[in-house]
Amino acid sequence: MFRNHIKIAYRNLLKNKSFSILNITGLSVGLCVTTLIALWINFELGFDGFHENEKNLYQVNNQYEVEGEIDTWNSTPKVMATVLKADYPEISRVSRYFFETPFLFTKNEKRIKATGTAVDADFLSMFRFPLIEGNVKTALSEVNTVVLTEKLAKTLFGEKDAIGQTLTIDNSELLTVSGVLKNLPDNTMFNFEYLLPWSYLEQKGWNDDNWSNNSIVTYVQLKDGTNFGAFSEKLASLRERYDRSSPDIHTFLYPFGRIHLHGKFENGREAGGRIDTIRLFGIIAGILLLIACINFMNLSTAQSEKRAREVGVRKVVGAKKGTLIAQFMGESIFIATISAVIASGLVWAGLPYFNELVGRPLSLLTLPPAFWWGAAGTVVLTGILAGSYPAMYLSAFRPSAVLKGHFKKKSKNDVSPRSVLVIFQFGMAIILITATVIVQQQIKKAQTRNSGYSKNNLLYTHMEGDMEQHYTLIKDELLRSGAAISVTKTNAPIIESQSNTWGMLWDGKAQDDHTIVHRMMADEAIIRTMGLELMEGRDFDLREYPSDSSAAIINQSAARLMGFEDPIGKTINDRNRDWHVIGLVKDFVLDSPYQKIEPLVIQGADGWFDVINMKLNTDRSTRENLTMIEVILKKYNPEYPFQYQFVDRAYAQKFEDQQRIGKIASAFTLLTVLISCLGLFGLASYMAENRTKEIGIRKVLGATVGNITTLLTTQFMKLVAISFVIGAPISWYFMSNWLEGFAYRVTIAWWVFPLSGILAMGIAMVTISFQAIKAAVADPTNSLKTE
Amino acid sequence: MLLQLNNIFKWVQQGGERVFLLKDINLDVSEGEFISIMGPSGSGKSTLLNVLGMLDGFNEGSYTFMQEPVHSLKEKHRSELYKRYIGFVFQAYHLIDELTVYENLEMPLLYKKVKSGERKALVADMLDRFHIVGKKDLFPSQLSGGQQQLVGVARALIGNPKLLLADEPTGNLNSQQGEEIMELFQQLNNEGVTIIQVTHSEKNAAYGSRTIHLLDGRKISG
Repeated sequence: MFRNHIKIAYRNLLKNKSFSILNITGLSVGLCVTTLIALWINFELGFDGFHENEKNLYQVNNQYEVEGEIDTWNSTPKVMATVLKADYPEISRVSRYFFETPFLFTKNEKRIKATGTAVDADFLSMFRFPLIEGNVKTALSEVNTVVLTEKLAKTLFGEKDAIGQTLTIDNSELLTVSGVLKNLPDNTMFNFEYLLPWSYLEQKGWNDDNWSNNSIVTYVQLKDGTNFGAFSEKLASLRERYDRSSPDIHTFLYPFGRIHLHGKFENGREAGGRIDTIRLFGIIAGILLLIACINFMNLSTAQSEKRAREVGVRKVVGAKKGTLIAQFMGESIFIATISAVIASGLVWAGLPYFNELVGRPLSLLTLPPAFWWGAAGTVVLTGILAGSYPAMYLSAFRPSAVLKGHFKKKSKNDVSPRSVLVIFQFGMAIILITATVIVQQQIKKAQTRNSGYSKNNLLYTHMEGDMEQHYTLIKDELLRSGAAISVTKTNAPIIESQSNTWGMLWDGKAQDDHTIVHRMMADEAIIRTMGLELMEGRDFDLREYPSDSSAAIINQSAARLMGFEDPIGKTINDRNRDWHVIGLVKDFVLDSPYQKIEPLVIQGADGWFDVINMKLNTDRSTRENLTMIEVILKKYNPEYPFQYQFVDRAYAQKFEDQQRIGKIASAFTLLTVLISCLGLFGLASYMAENRTKEIGIRKVLGATVGNITTLLTTQFMKLVAISFVIGAPISWYFMSNWLEGFAYRVTIAWWVFPLSGILAMGIAMVTISFQAIKAAVADPTNSLKTE
Repeated sequence: MLLQLNNIFKWVQQGGERVFLLKDINLDVSEGEFISIMGPSGSGKSTLLNVLGMLDGFNEGSYTFMQEPVHSLKEKHRSELYKRYIGFVFQAYHLIDELTVYENLEMPLLYKKVKSGERKALVADMLDRFHIVGKKDLFPSQLSGGQQQLVGVARALIGNPKLLLADEPTGNLNSQQGEEIMELFQQLNNEGVTIIQVTHSEKNAAYGSRTIHLLDGRKISG
């Protein structure tokens, strides 16, 4: 019996080649996309899921209410860890996590820049980053030791045993390797190639016990069976007891396992995060597969006349309804399986492109068996879903009706279920087209936003080794050589704000004003180097005005916040120092080109510096300039390789995330439209075939090709029109929501909707008209004879 | 007595009026009979055949088939009954195009869950009996009309039915092919199969032992 069914299925596939190709193409693409998305979701869900202690691990977060908005952040004072460990017996382990910092590692002739951080000794016991060599308990407890990843150890020491060897870090301290870590997996939010014991920072004088310097991340592990609620209440009083500057900050523990997917806070509450994107794309992938299934249902029922007789015969010779349902389900599972095989090929071929699209290193090789069972289940389910309606529909035929001779349907259009399906497909297509257009508009809008500084020929390099010490010489030589026309050192690259505070004071500041003010530090010529727009006053100029080391330049937002009508000469107090304002600059983008610009105070040379910014001389080629700069930096800082970033390129990276979403949305749109068109093409061809006789009669009675084509297409155009009426408001709703996330955003233009509607119509029209015209130009005598 | 129809009425509702397809049909069929149903188009021949074959229901009257009251049986029982005892032959043959001659013959046995070995034997028997062994691997489209109908009859007979119902079995055939099929029917009848056929042709009707004439759903003779 089974063989008989397989044979029939196989021969039917071959016989109706075009329908089979439409079905299999649609299902293959649907399954391929679903698999890729599932791979991605699997990766994201498994993020940092390998730490055995995960359920007891927490990140220490803080909340504070500023102007009615609760701000949530994850940095803490360094000293907090000590207090937590001492005061709370519920905590079994604590580890601080310093900034991920690139350092130079030197071993003999080898110089390697590697990124890593400093942590407390318990770090390796809390998180599962296994050591290949060394002891988890002691690896980070000795001073002057370092733990390296296998990869970094290999680069520095080759095949030799790294443990016990020494190396130089930052061109100054000699450290002994106390452990070698297995390389970090791809799915962790941590990014380090080395770990230093916290004592390294103490030695460097980078540790402090200042409660108002919230700059590092603290993780804790609670003991098994700790009552989280009770503990949270105890923790609430922590700042009151220790933090004199801001006792009202609320410190709380945030489950480590939720950081990756849910760790976005809005007004003190979790507000989605990556999980939103994952859900959204998961749903869209599901819908895409559903659309492919719908095609299958549509085409199979459209073909039902051809199968009706078979059903009749089978029933007459003894088939039960159940057997027939099983047969048709079997057929669709068979087709789904063929599609799955093709989809596997597509996944295999398309994975590299998809990885680029989502920016993840997904692989088919490292998947758990459950994933494959899930995939097989999905294929069978797809088959069942796609086959359900046709199976029910076909198996319900009454033999006396279908065998009498000509089997005719009740109505020639047989509208309802199939139309609903077409409306669903095209509704989705319209929603996605609209979304794609709006996403692209939003990206464009942010990209073309005036950043407020001149990004071209602006380059920065981090100050390392001896650079800070020789800064004045370096600067002079850079300017003298003609490679750069302006040089400024700052605390951070201009593309990001690394420091902010609500602690600045100025005349007339309200007591309870906790608005965040960003701070930047620069020595000289910041306006000239960055190409900022000066509104009032002047640039920093230490040669002319030595007191500029305690001067400040503020942006318009800051002037507005501080209520300075005429800011020049005003004083702002920060870091226990008075800064006199000498310049006012136009607002420029500080961090995100999507957000509104916040108040900023650029402070003079009395500060800490990390970056040298150079405006290149455009009279010479960039290559020439770079060579010259390298020569100069090597001269003063020979141990370090010359590494630099162009600001325009760094700025462009800010758009990566949204561009990625834009690209994925476009891909989904394209596929949805494609699959919908496959279905529509099949339906149209069926319809043309089904109405041959009617078309013949109409032509004999004088209808033109144009009349007939119109007749055949209007029916479908109506459906697309209905899809538009349903789809447009839905897409408006979703896209308004999406845009809410950006302070700097486009308003949705009314024409986006008619545009997507017309586009969908056009695509549908092209798809259908091919069949319609073919049917319309056919010789009526033929069609009438054959009937 | 194989079957008995008593006062069978069948109608459809059309625009508030009843249109009668069958009106007060009474019919007794004994085992071994060969009956021809005749009448002009629309007289209800096919409807009557469908009622006899239990493919169609009726609105009034009673139908007894092998002592079973068909009119009061549930759909499931009814279909079990016809699947077991009745074979159908159609004007348009109704072979399954995607199956070979062999597979077409085998299909009813699959639904009856006949074991593989027995199935092979039965199909081989049937191929042999109808002299179509050489055609067993061909598809219906590769056969002439007469050959297709031969397969159709063979398929109807493979389940060893008590009653063979044939709806214009020669309607699509030329006269020589038609004659062959009729001779086959006669031979089958001689071997004990009860046959009821619908036909337009007096000549074909003459093969039967009895002819029933219908007009506007009413039995006017036989």
